[in-house]
Amino acid sequence: MKNTLKVLRAERDWSQAELADRLAVSRQTVNALETGKYDPSLPLAFKIAQLFGRRIEDVFDPHAG
Amino acid sequence: MKLIPEVEVSQTTASRAYARELFTAMAAYVVAVLVTVKFTPDVDPLLRVPFVLIPLIPSAFALRAYLRFLGRMDELGRRIQLEALAIGFGAAGMLTFAYGFLENAGFPQLSYVFVFPLMICLWGLGGAVATRRYQ
Repeated sequence: MKNTLKVLRAERDWSQAELADRLAVSRQTVNALETGKYDPSLPLAFKIAQLFGRRIEDVFDPHAG
Repeated sequence: MKLIPEVEVSQTTASRAYARELFTAMAAYVVAVLVTVKFTPDVDPLLRVPFVLIPLIPSAFALRAYLRFLGRMDELGRRIQLEALAIGFGAAGMLTFAYGFLENAGFPQLSYVFVFPLMICLWGLGGAVATRRYQ
């Protein structure tokens, strides 16, 4: 699934490690999410959306990737 | 007490806690093995069975450390562990059975204390394979 995580992270000037800490996941997980190698669970997807003040469908696009 | 308590912590904290808990348990294990091996002949035969099993206590703490780590791990970490354990479990089963068949063909009989270290190695190998899948 495609997502805008990398762009949202860049907008806030956060490193992958910083975002990882805010989500209580590993840097490896942030990287896997950004590259689309791993799709998050619903709770994690909500947490990501809430962190960036967006709706889930604004962060994740089920029709792409 | 929950077997695998799920706690949300930073993954750095989780790794550090695991390293500390595992190291303590393994250090105690090494001491327990050295002590039991050295003193078993001197122990009253009636007490020998529980005595030689003393290293199981620090082993249980090592297992506890791993289960706590699993509970603190994020969801991708857990998935990687599942894949690593699946690869390790399956490969260890295949290899130990293959060697069992080879023993029928005349290969020397090996002690089954080799099985667990083999499982650990294959689990590690499985971990490397599973980690790469998400990179």
